[in-house]
Amino acid sequence: MRRTIRLYRRQLGAHLRAALQYEADFWILIGAAALMQVVGVVFLGAIFAKIPELNGWTFWEVVVVYAMVSIAEGVGSLFFEGTWRLARKINQGEVDYLLVRPYPVTLQVMSSEIGLNGIGNIVVGSILLGLGVARSDIHWSAGNVALGIVLLVSALVIKVAISLGTNAGSFWIPGPYSVVGYGIHQVGELARYPITIYAIGVRLAISVLVPFAFVSFFPVAVLLGRGGSARLGLLTPAVAVYCVLAARWAFNRGLRRYEGAGN
Amino acid sequence: MSIIEAHGLTKVFRRPVKREGLGGSVAHLFTRRYSDHVAVDGIDLTVEEGEAVAYVGPNGAGKSTTIKLLTGILVPTAGEIHVGGVVPHRERNANARQIGVLFGQRTQLWWDLPVRDSLGLLRDLYDISDADYRARLTQFDDILELGELMPIVARKLSLGQRMRADLAAALLHRPRVVYLDEPTIGLDISVKDRVRAFLRELCADGTTLMLTTHDLGDIEDVCQRIVIIDKGRKIFDGTIAEVKDGFARQRQLHVDFASPVDPASLAALLPEAEIEAGIDVPAQGPHRDFTLRFDRFRLTAGEVMTALLSVGEVADFRLDEPAIEDVVRRVYAGDLRLAAEASR
Amino acid sequence: MRKYLTLARMQARSVLAYRLNFVLSLFALMFQLFAMLAIWGVMLGSGRNLNGFDWGHMRAYLLVGFVCGALVSQGADFRMAGRIQDGMVAVDLTKPVDYQRARFAEVVGGAWTELATALLVCAGVLLLSGPVPWPGAPGLALFALSLVAVLPLKFLIVYMSGLVCFYTQNYLGVHWARLIIVSLFAGALVPLSFFPHWLQYLAAVLPFASMSATPALIFVGQLHGGKALALIAVQFVWVVALWLLARLIWRHAITRVTIHGG
Repeated sequence: MRRTIRLYRRQLGAHLRAALQYEADFWILIGAAALMQVVGVVFLGAIFAKIPELNGWTFWEVVVVYAMVSIAEGVGSLFFEGTWRLARKINQGEVDYLLVRPYPVTLQVMSSEIGLNGIGNIVVGSILLGLGVARSDIHWSAGNVALGIVLLVSALVIKVAISLGTNAGSFWIPGPYSVVGYGIHQVGELARYPITIYAIGVRLAISVLVPFAFVSFFPVAVLLGRGGSARLGLLTPAVAVYCVLAARWAFNRGLRRYEGAGN
Repeated sequence: MSIIEAHGLTKVFRRPVKREGLGGSVAHLFTRRYSDHVAVDGIDLTVEEGEAVAYVGPNGAGKSTTIKLLTGILVPTAGEIHVGGVVPHRERNANARQIGVLFGQRTQLWWDLPVRDSLGLLRDLYDISDADYRARLTQFDDILELGELMPIVARKLSLGQRMRADLAAALLHRPRVVYLDEPTIGLDISVKDRVRAFLRELCADGTTLMLTTHDLGDIEDVCQRIVIIDKGRKIFDGTIAEVKDGFARQRQLHVDFASPVDPASLAALLPEAEIEAGIDVPAQGPHRDFTLRFDRFRLTAGEVMTALLSVGEVADFRLDEPAIEDVVRRVYAGDLRLAAEASR
Repeated sequence: MRKYLTLARMQARSVLAYRLNFVLSLFALMFQLFAMLAIWGVMLGSGRNLNGFDWGHMRAYLLVGFVCGALVSQGADFRMAGRIQDGMVAVDLTKPVDYQRARFAEVVGGAWTELATALLVCAGVLLLSGPVPWPGAPGLALFALSLVAVLPLKFLIVYMSGLVCFYTQNYLGVHWARLIIVSLFAGALVPLSFFPHWLQYLAAVLPFASMSATPALIFVGQLHGGKALALIAVQFVWVVALWLLARLIWRHAITRVTIHGG
């Protein structure tokens, strides 16, 4: 296990070193990613300037939900960007080499690239999270702090698992990049806001079908004590476990398909 | 036990049949029709440790598929494989540590990293000790001149450079078995020579080599054994000498006489030889230069020369050895299959 | 002229090849649209009116913004970037075709699919959420005129950000920077009147509002008559100005073409 993590870090580190060669690009990517999060919040601010609350959620509370998605995306980009290159790897026959190395194929894929833009997402997301949490009505008992950490970690795990699971679709639908992966990722944009604004069908889709709502809305609802949503939010760690298992299953099925059908 | 043992190895690919036109596309949505393509058809293969085997056949014969089956990249439809006592597609990790693979058309180097970093990562993935690693790199530097490639980012390497680096990558962890799929493709002759020399040394050290290639120089320079497959089936398995003796028995002798000689007189002396005069076939009337083809087990070169010297004054001559090229060309043309079946 | 038509036609055909790219960028736009519709739906739901927008008008506004966003969304800039980065642009530059006009022709060729698909999505939204108020005949005429200006304008913005590739190695950051600036100042998701005054002044001197906000405001009737004509004129002025600016940039950019050898 330790070896697995150490080798993962080493692979990411090698890509980081290579990326740092291009200083200008480094700052542009981080800056652009950071700015994108800011612009999203500026929009929210403009809307909330007229009306103080959205379905009972104040501006800062919505910002917390928004920030969770930013942070989750940032973590995904920074540490697991390789997931998004799976389609290209399959397309160009690079998966063969992965199969003859003594290291899990999933981890080789995920560590094959580093998304520096993730730093921008994480930094701005964290600032927004901090500001939002400070201005929201959360009672920070020791229990709540512990709960908050568990929820945060679970949320990040769910996001990464969804990315892996959906990108595994490339084993069935070939192409230069993953239609399923990117397509479903866009659906996740809906979870930037409290999902109570959507019709029941949409809410089910992003809670049950592809549980994006458990990356942002439900964990925050727990800390804010928002009734029914808060109770559902307590399931977040369970959802995380489920997503990891589902993603692993999807990836392994895809790999088996690859080994059966060739390229 | 042999290091590679494969019995009845079979791989069938199931491809959906796409039908023509709009009607076909719609029908395709509802009912799927499949066609089965047998890429590898019941191949038996036994390789001992330290052997260098050339795996030869025309395009589409199933060479790459066999390699992928042996390395565990593909799961066989039927049959058994054991490599070093391990079933490749089931015990992936154990198999990975004892094999090295090179696919000539693709690189295993990380595209955006310098060669040094790629090899460093492989060192870690294969748990190679620092001492071993440095020794290996020194060795590679000697033979492949790897040192000059180390700082270069993989995507900036030329084909020859990339091949050398990929070779190093495949062999870094001292694998017992090495699979090379078209390792000298696109290389210039000096690099090819170096690579072949390196492979010969590896073999001498006890590494088992399986080489699929279209390059005949690779076969003659590196391998002792040759397996020929066509349409997924093995049609020859033996030493290079055997295959030449069996199917490349002809030698060619070109002779220039000082003054024209009547081909009839040559034919009378050498009834078993095929005689061609000059560039026109058949010969009519006296000629100065001839090409004689003879089965080297029926006539020796000496006998032919004696006959020629008795007919006229020989100004110049040249003797061509049987080449693998002839065998392979005949396989690719489909001749050999018939010959093999005829001799059974 | 014929060669440009050919390019346009080729692009229309190769839309199938780029359909992946298109579908994905459409998806991105769609879900942004849905999220905004949901938010504004709650904000304006109970018959409220903000800055002159009621729920019906806001829906119309967002849909027009969506259609404008769908134009030139098939990654023309990424195509340019790709060819510049792998050196294939050298081949393009040897052809007896004006580079800028050729890229525009390609974009025009793809625009029909973009328009058709965007309208399909709009139809879906209208079916689910009910009809939106239409402007009268004069409003529609002005709207159509305004829309005509959007295609070349958007093309020029995308084209110029593609030109940046002659100067940098990595295009992704530039692409995102453009998305940010455009989304902020085009007013597609949030009408500019909701922003603080200084932002509105800034938006007024930039071309991005002409890409989306102008036709959208005309459609919902907040711009009419003389004011509408004035802003449409502004759109076309931007088209001309940016076209010329792009040519200047291009002339300088090609001096920096570097080809990677092997």
